[in-house]
Amino acid sequence: MDTLTLQTKRPARPPRRRPPTKRKRAVRTNITAYGFLCAALFCFALFAWWPMIRQIIMSFQQTNLVDDPQWVGLDNFRTVVEDPAFGQAWKNTIAFTFLALICGYVIPFAVAVVLNELRHARAYLRFVVYLPVMLPPIVSVLLFKWFYDPGPGLFNYVLDSVGLPTLAWLDSTDTALISLVLVSTWMNMGAGVLIYLAALQNIPGDLYEAAELDGAGIFKRIWNVTVPQTRLILLLMLMLQIVATMQVFIEPYQLTGGGPENATVTVAFLMYQYAFVYGGNYGAGSALGVMLMIVLLAVAAVQLRLTRDEKR
Amino acid sequence: MKPRNLAIFLISSGLVLTATACGGDSESDAGGGVTITVACQPAKTAPKTRQAWDDDVKAFEKAHPGVKVKSTDQQPCYDPKTFAAKIAGGQMETVFVVPVTNYADVIAKKQAKDITGVTNLVKNYGDIKQEARDMVTKDGKVYGVPNVNYSVGLVYNRALFEKAGLDPDAPPQTWDEVRAAAKKIADLGDGHVGFGEYGGGNTGGWHFAQSIFSRGGEMVVDGKAAFNSPEGKAVLQTLHDMRWEDNSTGSKVLIGWESLMQQMGAGKTGMMLGAPDVVTDVVQKFQGKVEDYGITGIPEGKASLTGGEAYMINPKANAAETKAAMQWIDFQFNTPGKGRHDYARGKANGDPVGVPNNDYMGDSPTGQEIIKLRTENASLPVENYQTYIDASTKVMPKLEPPKAQELYAVLDVAMSAVLTRENADIDQLLADAETKANKILAQG
Amino acid sequence: MTDTTHTVHTTAHRDTADETRKVTPPSVRTRKKPRRRAAWADGHARTIVSPLELKSRWGTRIYWAVLAAVLTVFTLVFVFPLYWMVTGAMKSGEEIAQMPPTLWPENPDFSVFSDAWELFDIGTLLQNTLYYAIGAWLFALAVDVTAAYALSKLRPMFGNAILGAMLATLMIPPIVVMIPAYVTVTDVPIFGWQLLNSPWAIWFPVAANGFNIFLLKRFFDSIPDEILEAAEIDGVPPWRVLVSIILPISRPILGVVSIFTIVMVFKDFLWPLLVLPDSEKMTLSVGLSQTAGAVSQNQIMAGLVIASIPMIIVFFFFQRSIMAGLTAGSLKG
Repeated sequence: MDTLTLQTKRPARPPRRRPPTKRKRAVRTNITAYGFLCAALFCFALFAWWPMIRQIIMSFQQTNLVDDPQWVGLDNFRTVVEDPAFGQAWKNTIAFTFLALICGYVIPFAVAVVLNELRHARAYLRFVVYLPVMLPPIVSVLLFKWFYDPGPGLFNYVLDSVGLPTLAWLDSTDTALISLVLVSTWMNMGAGVLIYLAALQNIPGDLYEAAELDGAGIFKRIWNVTVPQTRLILLLMLMLQIVATMQVFIEPYQLTGGGPENATVTVAFLMYQYAFVYGGNYGAGSALGVMLMIVLLAVAAVQLRLTRDEKR
Repeated sequence: MKPRNLAIFLISSGLVLTATACGGDSESDAGGGVTITVACQPAKTAPKTRQAWDDDVKAFEKAHPGVKVKSTDQQPCYDPKTFAAKIAGGQMETVFVVPVTNYADVIAKKQAKDITGVTNLVKNYGDIKQEARDMVTKDGKVYGVPNVNYSVGLVYNRALFEKAGLDPDAPPQTWDEVRAAAKKIADLGDGHVGFGEYGGGNTGGWHFAQSIFSRGGEMVVDGKAAFNSPEGKAVLQTLHDMRWEDNSTGSKVLIGWESLMQQMGAGKTGMMLGAPDVVTDVVQKFQGKVEDYGITGIPEGKASLTGGEAYMINPKANAAETKAAMQWIDFQFNTPGKGRHDYARGKANGDPVGVPNNDYMGDSPTGQEIIKLRTENASLPVENYQTYIDASTKVMPKLEPPKAQELYAVLDVAMSAVLTRENADIDQLLADAETKANKILAQG
Repeated sequence: MTDTTHTVHTTAHRDTADETRKVTPPSVRTRKKPRRRAAWADGHARTIVSPLELKSRWGTRIYWAVLAAVLTVFTLVFVFPLYWMVTGAMKSGEEIAQMPPTLWPENPDFSVFSDAWELFDIGTLLQNTLYYAIGAWLFALAVDVTAAYALSKLRPMFGNAILGAMLATLMIPPIVVMIPAYVTVTDVPIFGWQLLNSPWAIWFPVAANGFNIFLLKRFFDSIPDEILEAAEIDGVPPWRVLVSIILPISRPILGVVSIFTIVMVFKDFLWPLLVLPDSEKMTLSVGLSQTAGAVSQNQIMAGLVIASIPMIIVFFFFQRSIMAGLTAGSLKG
């Protein structure tokens, strides 16, 4: 649109800067801006946007990375849907998400509410609760692997010494998944606690005072003031939690290998198996990836909707 | 745009473009010579073995002027995760190793060079066992040089056998004897495990295949799952009874390939299924006592899963590189007394020499020479492996089933079930696994 | 970086700021009932429980009970496992497998740490990881700051669409697209680069971080345009505006973005597992995972202790930025 302006004769260079015409300035700003943007556009285009598109393309292809990929229609989707572990993987992922929401969503909020009431040792408690979040996940996972050991494991020792029956932890279909959730909660919940804590501190104190004057007890105050005041954050965290737990990988990879009896196979783990264990079936892995993408986008859409309604 | 503005753009985008430097291979020829890259240099953690390899490289370069050899030491040497990508991206070594499980796949995908015309460069190629050579041959064309060949046996801890009142020179020959021996060892208490077994991470299914073969069963026949058979049922039933009636398999489910050998090396596990290289690893990596470990033929001994590997050549290698690569394979891996068959040096370096971990040359003259050298320089008690050698001539070697990894994943379920659930329904587990396996096999 | 007037832009207002700043003046305190026992109940922002309730006889008792319980539980849950890790490393092979376990190693053995250092080859791993982390930090900062500046202050055509597309990537976590991303890295389209075992396989994707751009842009948005307009009239070119005006006042947010990038690279597991398979190029996390199967339990623990130290040091020194970054992200809703 600005070609005309560009082609008009330019003055040899004004002796003293006059503000250039609006159009010229717009063109120049645009060029400058895209100059600044080009590195980011490069990175995003190749390593964020293109993989998403390519995921969809690859889910309809069969490739060995050497020869040209072949179009195979819905074959890859058929392969994964017929996979005996497919249903189990989704069930596990959803169960994991659900359990992780109980452990990693409700508990941190309760903890944050209590922490916010305390007048002492706050810095220590904040530091301590966030410490596991800083550790590389592999550290937490290998540490818990040892705790779960049915032989010299810490957990069974503790259970035993307080007179409770010991558990098989990772080695039983009943407890394997919840054991993974426990590790995951331990190493991630600090972030949630601190975020809620910040939100709680933003609640104006006079709301509590008003509630108190109305005769509301402590639990009523929580229900009528704290929860509504932090609703937006709670909603946002709900989505972040779901997105985070949809991608469980390191826990089953390192602790159970998906077993026993597929009890801990997650969708992300299955994707990895297809692409990197079963002789490079990238197409089937991508098909699973596409399904995960759809689910996540749906979650995001619901979240957006809720937030918008909430804001009104 | 002002020149200085431009400068900052260039810096910002220059950051991006510097990446070009890291692409591409640097396989430039020095002075008209040829450079090859070879895989499987020993890891830094084994400095003496690594030094021996480096010496071999120097000796080889001296014997073949103009050839330069560069080694890579990725651990493990063959990594299924990156194999396809390395080939596609031109990062694959000129000489690389492929395990027997992947021969068919690699050859079908044209990821290895046709070396039919140059096999004579490996002087002893003709002495390699026929069945090993057949595995790397497709439609009359040769795609690799077999390097290792062995079959699975029963690795056992002789010291524990004695402690439990069993005769270490008369190891179990049937699964019933295995079960009885396992119980005796477990009865020692104090965390002793009679028979160690995997229950996940695809190794469970792998050992299921080894067990069913030993009993004369089959994994796949004519493209259909064949393991829902009396033999398959017996495998699971025995394991179940050992776990829940005798409590002789330990209570921990093992998932990693190394976990069982680690447990074995710790000295409290009596027996496990394994190839002779397990003995080497248990002793070398997991600090097991050399004299404690022996190996015998697989129980029942109807057939045994073979393992092994072959060296193959990068399909992108040119004629000169191929020639140098074949000469390297010849020098390092197939000459008695040289390279890896320099057992005198191995003994001096403290390597475990003497395990019958490789009979790829069979009874051929070269094979006999290798065995002679290996026995002469043995640092291990070779008599502990004699029953394995005796048995191995009678055992029929079995290849891994098609779609091995996927089938193993399916059978992991059954293996982990009998090891973790007392009320596991074996018939149901096998029927389920059969249905699943047939679906996988049908996908072709 | 600790200039709190700026952190206000990025943090929830009262979170990380020291409580000491909000202590009510002593004059207020003395005016209230001079009960020494519960003087601490005042001088704190009003929360669910009122100071009056806290000061009651039962309120005080319950408060101390709750405090004691929380301190005990937190220490047990979050500190004790780490204590167990460190002492476990120093136990001998037999002692670590012993039942019942010992609370403190009988003969603390520090040589296990040097053993683990050797076995895991932690020197190489740590060096690699540091190299990737620092490189990622510099590269991501350069890329994301310039982009956020352009989007915030230069506002080019389609700027909002680009920002939207960048933020959209936050909906899809990287693990979901690991296969196509991996394939892309092995053969970058158009350029034909092969980035397997190259640090760029880490650096490029890290720079494509919508969250960093979002944080930076929002901070830049809060800088008044007037300053920049004045600079423009004086003929100061945009890059100098960025370097000499924007960057100095953006130190808090740059701190947040820096720490997050470094921590992210340190903690990542699956991606480096895929793209840096060479044992000479591995990251610490991947190296630990690969070797853990082959060494004894006390050596594993020693390896974990060593691997945790860099992150704990980072946490000690940059606690503020880290916590500020946490809340900055969450308040976008």
